[in-house]
Amino acid sequence: MPVISPSAFAPSAANDAAVPVAADLREKVRRLERAHSAQRAGQQAVSLGVPAIDALLPSNGLLTGALHEIEAGPAPSGRVASHDGAALGFAAHLLGRFGTLRPNGTLLWCRRPFGASDAPPYAAALAAWFDPARLLMVTVRRDEDLFWAMEEGLRCPGMAAVLGETRATDLTAGRRLSLAAEKSGVPALLLRGQPAPPQSVCTTRWRVASAATHSTPGLNDVGASRWRTELRRNRFGAPSVTETPTWLLEWNDETHCLSVVPQAFHGSTRESDARLVG
Amino acid sequence: MRLADSRALVPDLVTTPGEPQADHRLIETIANWCDRYTPWVAIDPLGGALAEEGTEACSTGGFGGDAGLLLDITGCTHLFGQGEAGERALLADLTERLARHDLTCRAAMADTAGAAWALARFAERQADLYCPPRGHREALARLPVEGLRLDAPIVETFLKLGLRRIGDLYPLPRAPLARRFGDQPLTRLDQALGTIVEPIEPRRTPPAFRTRLAFVEPIGRPEDIAAATSRLLAALCRQFEQAGVGARKLEITLYRVDGSVDRTSIGTSRPNRDNPRLMKLFEEKLGELDPGFGVELMILAAPEVETWSGTQDALPDSGAIAASLGEDGTIDLADRLALRLGVENVVRLLPRDSHLPERVQAAGAVAAPAAAGAWQRVAGMKGARPTRLLQRPEPVDVMAHVPDDPPSVFHWRQHAHRIVRAEGPERVADEWWRPRPDGSRPPANIVPPYRDYYRVEDDDGGRFWLFRDGAYRMAANGRQTARWFLHGFCA
Repeated sequence: MPVISPSAFAPSAANDAAVPVAADLREKVRRLERAHSAQRAGQQAVSLGVPAIDALLPSNGLLTGALHEIEAGPAPSGRVASHDGAALGFAAHLLGRFGTLRPNGTLLWCRRPFGASDAPPYAAALAAWFDPARLLMVTVRRDEDLFWAMEEGLRCPGMAAVLGETRATDLTAGRRLSLAAEKSGVPALLLRGQPAPPQSVCTTRWRVASAATHSTPGLNDVGASRWRTELRRNRFGAPSVTETPTWLLEWNDETHCLSVVPQAFHGSTRESDARLVG
Repeated sequence: MRLADSRALVPDLVTTPGEPQADHRLIETIANWCDRYTPWVAIDPLGGALAEEGTEACSTGGFGGDAGLLLDITGCTHLFGQGEAGERALLADLTERLARHDLTCRAAMADTAGAAWALARFAERQADLYCPPRGHREALARLPVEGLRLDAPIVETFLKLGLRRIGDLYPLPRAPLARRFGDQPLTRLDQALGTIVEPIEPRRTPPAFRTRLAFVEPIGRPEDIAAATSRLLAALCRQFEQAGVGARKLEITLYRVDGSVDRTSIGTSRPNRDNPRLMKLFEEKLGELDPGFGVELMILAAPEVETWSGTQDALPDSGAIAASLGEDGTIDLADRLALRLGVENVVRLLPRDSHLPERVQAAGAVAAPAAAGAWQRVAGMKGARPTRLLQRPEPVDVMAHVPDDPPSVFHWRQHAHRIVRAEGPERVADEWWRPRPDGSRPPANIVPPYRDYYRVEDDDGGRFWLFRDGAYRMAANGRQTARWFLHGFCA
């Protein structure tokens, strides 16, 4: 059997329309890779809205019907981050992107509260990414229940996306979620408040840490939120130059768009800048 | 007679201590078991089972203080046969089944509860226990006056006066009787004869919708129970359709061969009469039921029903409508999740018009999500908000240069956060128009308590939402102090 590397058939987005053969070939490779699961074919991909990242992802976007993990990374100084607000923001952005595929679908959010100092997600802020009225909030007491609730959600036909907030690492549960997502075509997201040992079940794994913002010159106000985002695992995707591609992303609260902050340029980001890098 | 005297008379007398509580439990169990015949089962209030400890049980005495059960079998006898034959069959079935559990009982059936009570206790022949319709007047006439459920002194006086049979009271003029003995004898007599209605108060509110399935052979396998549930559900759903309602709560009861009862229930977020969906909910719960040595009867009841607001299907472009009504399966999913996790743990988030950040987000019912865009409107009116809000603001130690400036350092969880950037203050005042939690209203002539919120970023890139509770005050040591709290984490 010939060995076909998927990367050989992963040209940039520009070539896609011009050469339909490439798309066919890529589809063929995908079938070869997952010969045992026929459902894999014909899956949609959702663009992240950041061209630089999308170029690395399979079909230029995050696959629906797959498991994606987002974990909160350590702070720039190397200490454990004090909170996972940035990772939550990034996860909410992904939820919002997935939500565009089914504009009326429900978003299931499962979480396990952590004692008295629990900080649940705040819908008034989440409204920037999607309509919180679509959320179905589920609180569980045990991790088993969390994975069970997520799996039930993945099987539900009207679901747009399912997110689980957990600190547990359960390889079997991850595998089950991945399979359930694959079967139903509903994306599953896992949000971890702490970096977890790597597991090989998810399609993409992101590590998001809060980064210092850029103030208006002459003032020391808090600028637009910036997240240092690492793509630590990218299954079916194109290989990148560096081992773990890393971007500094900026979330613009007013225009509601995510863009890459050029590393050399620390001013404000304009759309032209993002395109320059992307 | 005292125990010592009894022992002197009968040396090998077997004695056991009385256990009123156990007696009560037993009668409760039997009452549960009797639900198989009718949902209207009451424990006889005059029986010893309900008598307070230390007080005399009513009249005749005997083991268990003549504990009794009252069953209203109106409309239930057709399950055993037509007309009188059905009634007789039910009575025979009841006695025989109880005898199988080694319970001695005397069951009588009559048009009124009073007549049945008297017959069960004082009928001389076995054949008299069944009183045919409209035959209770003659049947009662032959019974002693004790059968009227009277207080002991009245019975004694009646006996002294030579009024031995209930029939002796029939010809007496009513006015002198009432003057001499009070209301009780006449009321009881009228109740027994059916001129006054005597309602039976059931222990459990009888459900309006109910189906039952009896088995020739007791069943015990989970598959059989599931199959039986499915059949019961199909019958119940037909009842729902005829009545135009849907179930909010369903309860299934297993009657085991040993006379005990096990039940479980399911709830739904909105009226439902969709057989497969309800069955799916039951499948979760059936595992909890214990068939014991076998189940001989199952009853499915709907204690809570609501008018069914059915939805038309297959309307063109009805995707949005279907989604808002949960036809896409969300409601079913929520029901299944709520069954295992608890109703309060599966919620929608509703926006509330409030300035206080913790009041903005409220939990709501799954079937009633917020209107589209309601959240955007609420969020649009506010400044930058944190992605996570602490359920309870946590006090932090703060160092600030000038009282009205944002802090320069704050200590939280044994960690110092040096603040590099800060935004604020955003002043949020207490809502004076809203009563306080204790019900009192804040006085109108003072400045309401307020918080000054700051969005800050520490030297490690973490963004926080802090507030100062009110203004700086002069502390005892002459320094200006204020209380600071951490309320949320920003993206």
